[in-house]
Amino acid sequence: MNMEPEPSSAELTKDDPSSSRIVHRLAVLSVCLVWPLIWVGGLVTTYDAGMAVPDWPNTYGYNLFLYPYKTWLLGPFDLFIEHGHRLLGAVVGFVAIGLAVAAYLKETRRWVFWFAVAVLLAVIFQGALGGIRVVQMSRTLAMVHGCFGPAFFAACVALAVVTSRSWRDSCPADRGQSAITELAQVPRSTVILGLVLVALGYTQLVLGAQLRHVQPTMRPDGFATIVVFHVVTAFVLWSVTAVGYWRMRKLKSCCGDLTLWRPAAALIGLVLLQIVLGTGTWVANYGWPTFLQGFPGATGFLIRAKGFWDSIVVTAHVATGSLILAVSTMIWVRSWRLRYCSQSASEVANET
Amino acid sequence: MRPVILLCLLLAIGCDAAIDQFPANDVYALTLAHSRDVRTELAQRDVAEVIRSLFGTPESPVWPSEIFDGEAKSLVKSESLTAAAGPIFSDREGNNFGLFNKHCVACHGVSGSGAGPAAVFQNPYPRDFQAGVFKWKSTERSAKPTRDDLVGLLHRGVKGTGMPSFALVSEADVSALTDYLVYLSVRGEAERKLLAFAIDELGYDDSEDDSSEFLIEDADVHQIVGEIVESWLDASKRGVPVPKEVASNTDSIARGKDLFHGQIANCVGCHGPGGNGAAVTLDFDDWAKEYSSRIGLTPTNRDAMKPFRQAGALRPRQIKPRQLNQGVLRGAGDGKAIYRQISQGIAGTPMPSLTITKQESATGLTSDQVWDLVHYVQSLGSQPGDTLP
Ligand code: HEC
Ligand code: HEC
Repeated sequence: MNMEPEPSSAELTKDDPSSSRIVHRLAVLSVCLVWPLIWVGGLVTTYDAGMAVPDWPNTYGYNLFLYPYKTWLLGPFDLFIEHGHRLLGAVVGFVAIGLAVAAYLKETRRWVFWFAVAVLLAVIFQGALGGIRVVQMSRTLAMVHGCFGPAFFAACVALAVVTSRSWRDSCPADRGQSAITELAQVPRSTVILGLVLVALGYTQLVLGAQLRHVQPTMRPDGFATIVVFHVVTAFVLWSVTAVGYWRMRKLKSCCGDLTLWRPAAALIGLVLLQIVLGTGTWVANYGWPTFLQGFPGATGFLIRAKGFWDSIVVTAHVATGSLILAVSTMIWVRSWRLRYCSQSASEVANET
Repeated sequence: MRPVILLCLLLAIGCDAAIDQFPANDVYALTLAHSRDVRTELAQRDVAEVIRSLFGTPESPVWPSEIFDGEAKSLVKSESLTAAAGPIFSDREGNNFGLFNKHCVACHGVSGSGAGPAAVFQNPYPRDFQAGVFKWKSTERSAKPTRDDLVGLLHRGVKGTGMPSFALVSEADVSALTDYLVYLSVRGEAERKLLAFAIDELGYDDSEDDSSEFLIEDADVHQIVGEIVESWLDASKRGVPVPKEVASNTDSIARGKDLFHGQIANCVGCHGPGGNGAAVTLDFDDWAKEYSSRIGLTPTNRDAMKPFRQAGALRPRQIKPRQLNQGVLRGAGDGKAIYRQISQGIAGTPMPSLTITKQESATGLTSDQVWDLVHYVQSLGSQPGDTLP
């Protein structure tokens, strides 16, 4: 995420807080659309449906939007989800266009406009990547496409955060309200912690994608190494979320709407859920690993290829991974904002 | 990893590892090199060429029907190979392609060596098709499985192992996969047999001589491949007949219990009293023994195994006799299947065969006694013969 430096606070004080409400709403809409899009995209891979439609940008020669809906809805399941993924992706593309236009017209902070443009370019890039993956029949590009999706999701979340009302309200200093000086100083390390969460969350996504889009010729030891890293990083991430919660809790009293301890608490739960889903994903694909053979039911466990619930577990693991990244991003961006505000608040206080 | 990903993006030409040929069976070559104390590079090179020209590549596999006659020509259908091989996609009619890559390759590997990427954490390891030995079948211990055995296996899966049930995959796809698996097995076995033949019979073993003369004759190739294919065609004639079942009642179970714990069958020696798995055993399956104990190496010795691991073998893993009182069977699980397992043993594993005699004797069991054992085994598990709905 390319966050540009905050413009001078003087610029902001003039601006009407409601002016960019439409931008914020569109950003939230894109967040709400992109998560399902990641689910459907995950299902596409789980069902190996990526190549259910061999051409692109057309669907079997039809324009994306003109493909007969009956054939789509009543056709094979893999065609259903692949074409559905494309349609939903196109909708997100339109929202991103709307977002950029709205930001151009309504948003006073230029860097927010450029951020919206970057989001639009990213969605175009992501769509093209998905398309080239189909045309080239490339598993590697499928993996890159799968890794870029969550990054895009995180960018949408960041955009929604920076356009939110509480973002503006959280900096009384911006509006020259020097009276409020009880803002606690947010230490740099808290912001860094947020960044570490984002980095670890994304590392996990990349490692997971390596396992999911495994090349047939990969050596078993290579695969095993990635598995070990993926599992170890999961627990490292989990402990960092605990530290994060503790840190955010300490900030609790300071910051009104922008309190971060709630998302930080949610993150602990999400990572735990993700560890459970990850175990489920392994079991659904490869059965109970040797060291868990003592688990009740493991002895008689039967893997069912393409089982519905198995696919849901696997896809949920993918989607929750993105959610963890998104929540981490939110925490990071907000803590960064809080630090900025607390610093400028104390500057204002010092000046007066 | 990131630079690699970026590189892929820049090139934008899918930089998937090209699978333009089947990986060579280096583990077997090393096994031969070790047991015969010879070099195998030349033999490997020439055998690879023969095998490639006969069987094609993973992207375009070939069934060499021109060298066979009769039934052998259609043991494997070329449409099946087209559907099973190559990249994963499906066409407008919903026909699926790349089936082996989609469903099997992560475990069984490109050449069916059983050392696919995800093999390491599994117990037992995925099957190596190349040795041509299969466990769960209705035929004699040394025979190949029938087609029905394989289709049944894919439908059923193997409980408690990594082998999934493909019951939700269409019949046409399962049929294509079955053909492909037979193809891989024949191809792999041909590679092994040719390699052994080249080294033992053709003088490729001469480590001094590096003349690059090609010594493998077509006639020998056809002979060797022909015999392998014959063994697959023979499978249906080598089914194990199952005599009439004796009445299953408490008497039969009690007799079975005695036999189980008795001298002749001595099931207890491996399966423990009451099949509770308490017997102490230290054994390996034949796939692992081949590159360890059979050539004088200790399977648990990491240093001894290292060269084999580098050649692509998995670390030998102990095989444990089934804990029968848990009621989970990996084969077909019905009475007949258990009868066959007890009389034939389980191929590739330490589970031995029994001598079936006409009269009760000190060395073998009658078929009625085998049925008693079956009933006893069934009584041990709470849900014997539990199969997929
Ligand atoms: C998740 C890993 C996994 C996948 C995927 C998988 N297998 Fe297996 N397969 C195994 C394991 C493990 C065994 C060994 C089972 C045993 O020894 O009882 C096995 C055994 C087999 C056997 C030997 C059975 C016997 O009688 O000895 C065959 C044949 C087979 N698999 C075919 C396939 C085919 C065809 C596919 C794809 C449609 C496939 N497998 C997919 C793990 C897998
Ligand atoms: C030398 C040791 C040994 C002896 C003796 C032995 N077994 Fe086994 N048995 C095994 C092993 C090992 C397996 C597991 C094979 C596998 O799953 O790969 C097994 C598996 C089985 C199974 C499970 C088959 C399935 O479908 O899962 C049954 C039933 C069984 N044995 C019955 C018997 C009976 C009855 C006897 C006595 C006649 C007997 N065994 C003797 C080693 C032995």
